[in-house]
Amino acid sequence: MAEAPALRAAVDAGERTAIGAHRLLAGTFMLLALAFAASAGATGDTFFFRLATEALIFAGLAMSVDLLLGYTGLLSLGQALFFGFGAYVSGLVLKHVAPSFWAAVGITLLASLAAGLVAGIISIRARGVYFALITFGLAQVAFKVVFNTREIGGSDGIIGIPQIKVEFGLFSVDTQSPAGFFLVTLAFIMLLYAVCAYLTQTPFGRTLMAVRTNESRVAFLGYSPWRAKLAAFVAAAVVAALSGSLYPMLRGLVSPELLAFQTSGNAVIMMIIGGVGTLAGALYGSVLLTVLKSVFGTFTEHHLIIIGGLFMLSVIFFPKGLAGYALPRLERWLERRAAAGP
Amino acid sequence: MQFVYGPQVVNGLAIGVAVILMALGLTIIFGLLDVINMAHGEFYALGAYLAVTLVAKGASFWLCLALVPVVMAAIGYFAERALIQRVFHSRDRHILTLLLTFGLAIIAEDAFKLAYGPNPYKPESPIAGASEVLGITLPNYRLFLIVAGAAIIVAVWLVVYRTSLGAMVRAAAFDRHMASSLGVPVEKVYAGTFAFGVALAGLSGVLLAPIYSVFPTMGKDFILMAFSVVIVGGMGSIKGAVIAGLVLTQIQSISSLYISPVWGEPLVFGIMVLFLLVRPQGLAGRLGHG
Repeated sequence: MAEAPALRAAVDAGERTAIGAHRLLAGTFMLLALAFAASAGATGDTFFFRLATEALIFAGLAMSVDLLLGYTGLLSLGQALFFGFGAYVSGLVLKHVAPSFWAAVGITLLASLAAGLVAGIISIRARGVYFALITFGLAQVAFKVVFNTREIGGSDGIIGIPQIKVEFGLFSVDTQSPAGFFLVTLAFIMLLYAVCAYLTQTPFGRTLMAVRTNESRVAFLGYSPWRAKLAAFVAAAVVAALSGSLYPMLRGLVSPELLAFQTSGNAVIMMIIGGVGTLAGALYGSVLLTVLKSVFGTFTEHHLIIIGGLFMLSVIFFPKGLAGYALPRLERWLERRAAAGP
Repeated sequence: MQFVYGPQVVNGLAIGVAVILMALGLTIIFGLLDVINMAHGEFYALGAYLAVTLVAKGASFWLCLALVPVVMAAIGYFAERALIQRVFHSRDRHILTLLLTFGLAIIAEDAFKLAYGPNPYKPESPIAGASEVLGITLPNYRLFLIVAGAAIIVAVWLVVYRTSLGAMVRAAAFDRHMASSLGVPVEKVYAGTFAFGVALAGLSGVLLAPIYSVFPTMGKDFILMAFSVVIVGGMGSIKGAVIAGLVLTQIQSISSLYISPVWGEPLVFGIMVLFLLVRPQGLAGRLGHG
């Protein structure tokens, strides 16, 4: 038993290094984003600010995919359902209830809790690939229902959503200001990231990872995999919906395409390229995909062939993704620094 | 009575057999390889586009009907060898194969747009005219589709359950290691089965091309129905796919008399969700398991 405390200390040190590497990766992203904001703000640009804001919003969606796939082992092919749901709820609140950021976000939060719970109870029953198909189907049906319901704009979506001021008490930021709303979105998404990253360190987060590794053993240890999976599903739904709630503020409109399979599929692609099971990979994956799309988009309108090809190559040859490649190297670097230090 | 329901029932049957052909491919591939083929809809579209190309080159529809499945089988064989086998022995093969076929679907859909443009093609119906059955006028081609489709479904069943080839497939689905040690060339059976499923998708693409149009996203629009059929029927079950295919397409077809057709798909899917809550394993057992 003499080694037990030593072993414990080694495990704790490993954990600390792992958390440190994650923080470093997310912090680097934050710095890069701020550097981008400074340079784009200096040139008075609008286009790239708007594009980057959109990339951040979709990073939130990708993060919700990772909560399910990377931490719980559930591949959702219909996460756009909640993203679009959040966008529609937020858009409707802004247009018809109150043009307030906090009202839109708050009501989206509550509504997505309820929606996530209902959809979760249906989908969690299905295991493995069935889960992927059920989420795919649910989202596809929600898309068709929204597409055919004239009361919420049908195939046109909702247009003319008013621009608002985001009130922070001491100051306010206009959503029309490209730099201002970019920074608001950056803060919002990084906050979502921090909450998700914290969740994965809690006992709840560890239960999820145990479910991912061996679901029946979790049940034998006296934990309920069902409850853990449902909680993860609801959390992912809320994260996706909150990200979606920013979309109408950015574009002034919502359209049924936000719920379409393409949106869900893009989030999965971002996550695979960025690195499943890392959360920070969502940030990098979303930015990379957005950059690739606009770069290839200037040459050809058939950029999906290239994106799809890169995605497949990534699945075969680079399955850990960008963040999955970077994290172990960062950890080793941190270890070397700690060893060389005092 | 029969004048209202008759045409709907027959139309539903015509769609039904085509959906069943799609669903059979999906379910056999899943039953044997544990692979959800997300590109199945695109293979269906590719079959239809090959037919359009061949007809434009002067081939007859009947030649297409014979030739396209052969070409599709070859494509399916190489797709399995190049993609599925590559990740087949990985622990996450369910998810990896799903992702790979999903990537293939993205590429294929865009490639169709690149090669054929976004506008729909509508091949001439190879059997013109209509005939009267029990006082209802029905297009001849739809009657042909029902008969031919039913014949193919029976043939598939015979191959799987009454030939030694089918026995190898079922054995490999039941226990791959045991089948392998008894001399079944399991890897070839996998590739061959995948090719067979893809050929079925291509075949239903050719068969449906004269009824629906041929356009880049046709696969995506059709695949949800096929997935629903496979889930309700039980993943990997041939019998289940046939029953579920007939019932669900009839529901969709007859419901369109009462509600707007755009709600038919949500209705069918709602039924699928309810069914799954009651009986998650589907109607019937898996391939090779009875």
